[in-house]
Formats: sequence, structure tokens, C-alpha cells
Amino acid sequence: MQARLEQEALEHIDALYRTALRMTRNAADAEDLVQEVYLRAFRSLHQFTEGTNLRAWLFRILTNTYINEYRRRQRRPASASLDDIEEFYLYDHLIDSGVQPSVERPEDIVLSKLSVDSVIGAIEELPEEFRQVVLLADVEGFSYRDIASIVDIPIGTVMSRLYRARRRLQRQLYDAAVESGVIGRVAADGHV
Amino acid sequence: MGTCSQTIEHLYAYIDRELSEQEQREVQAHLDRCPPCRDHFRFEANVLSLIGQRCRQTSAPPELKDRVRKMCQSG
Repeated sequence: MQARLEQEALEHIDALYRTALRMTRNAADAEDLVQEVYLRAFRSLHQFTEGTNLRAWLFRILTNTYINEYRRRQRRPASASLDDIEEFYLYDHLIDSGVQPSVERPEDIVLSKLSVDSVIGAIEELPEEFRQVVLLADVEGFSYRDIASIVDIPIGTVMSRLYRARRRLQRQLYDAAVESGVIGRVAADGHV
Repeated sequence: MGTCSQTIEHLYAYIDRELSEQEQREVQAHLDRCPPCRDHFRFEANVLSLIGQRCRQTSAPPELKDRVRKMCQSG
């Protein structure tokens, strides 16, 4: 049983590492963090209830370890100005630039051309608590309930953080698309 | 959930499959008869999907995997 759990736990190392990397924004710290997560997990394996979600349990250890050991070292982007961004910024600006969603698929025009670095850069710019819910929901596919348990916040807070994080991310992706020349910047009057 | 603005309020919960079955059906019914909302929902779903795809390309370094495997074997 112990061996099986260990084997299963190792299957999640890629997911834990990439989340650790986006949270610490430093490869060496991410490696140390993941190693510490496994150390703590194996030490407290007896506390794990068979039949519950092992992946969510490991991510909960990751979150706690990060908060206790790494967060104070992090340079944190200002968490202000998350609320002054319009809803659905990217979509609305693409429509304003004259893209016809019924004819052209705006996501094909823009999204397929955005590089891995642009997307990761946009995520890493998010303030920590918002970055965390985006990583758990949009990258790792956890449910709102699992995220609430991993981060130890109410489900309503998960939803509001996710909503605000995605709004901010849209703005970042739009700016990345403009900077890389994928689209022209739309002026306030809606013209390119 | 008949109007576009009522439907848009549920956009993320719908994409995240966090609505009740009844709410999911109501949103779907609106999307079936409203091409602009359908386009918008598809766009937002694809944005989230792209973010996930791009970020999941990162794997743990082989040395880290080895270290953790040995750590677990040495118990």
C-alpha cells in the first residue's frame, strides 16, 4: 500500500514542479520546493486517507510549504489595479478592432500565435493569490471545491479570485499580442 | 437565464463545468439559439484551454525525478 501510494505520488511530479516553478519563478527554488513536498508527504503518508484525492493532497502540501518556506523571499507584484480592467478585455478589444467572430475565429488569429513565453510571462505577472488559482484551475484542472481545500479559502473566494485573475490575464495577453505584432493596438475610439 | 447578460454571468462557471445540470442546460439552450454568445463562449473557453496547454509543456527535470525517487526508496 505504501509502495503503491509512493508510485502514484511520483506520477504528479511534473504538475507539482511546473506549479512550483510558476509560484517561485525560480528553477532552483522550484526543485527544492518539490523535494520538500515529497519529503513531507512521505513522512505524513499515514495521515493520507485512502480513496481521497492524492493529487489535491500533494498540492495542499505544496501550497503550505510554499507559504511557510518561500513566500517571504518572493518579490511580489503589486496586487492593486486588478479591478480597473474591463470584463472580457481581450475579446472585446478584438471585436473592436474589426474581427468578425462569426466569420473569423478571433482565437485562431491571436491565441495560436502567442508563444509559451508570452503566456507564462502573463501568468507570472499576476499577484500571487491570483496566479495560484489560475494555475490550479486552468493549468491543473482542479475543481473549485478542490482549490478551496488546497488553498484553504471558501469556494466563493476561489470564484472571485479566478474571475479577477482571468480578467487581468486577458489584459496581459492582449498586451503581449500587441507587443509581438500579432494584432494592432485598438485606440479608445475602437480604431486600429 | 434567457437573456445574453444573464447567460454571460455564468460564462466561467459553465466553461469550468461548475453549474448544476439544470443551469448547464439553460446556458446551453441560450447558446444554441444565440450565435454571438456562442462565439464569445467558444473564444473564452479557447483562451483558457490555450493557457493550460502552453503551461503544461513544462516537466520536472530528470535529476529532480531521480532524487525524489531515491528519496522515496530510501524511505
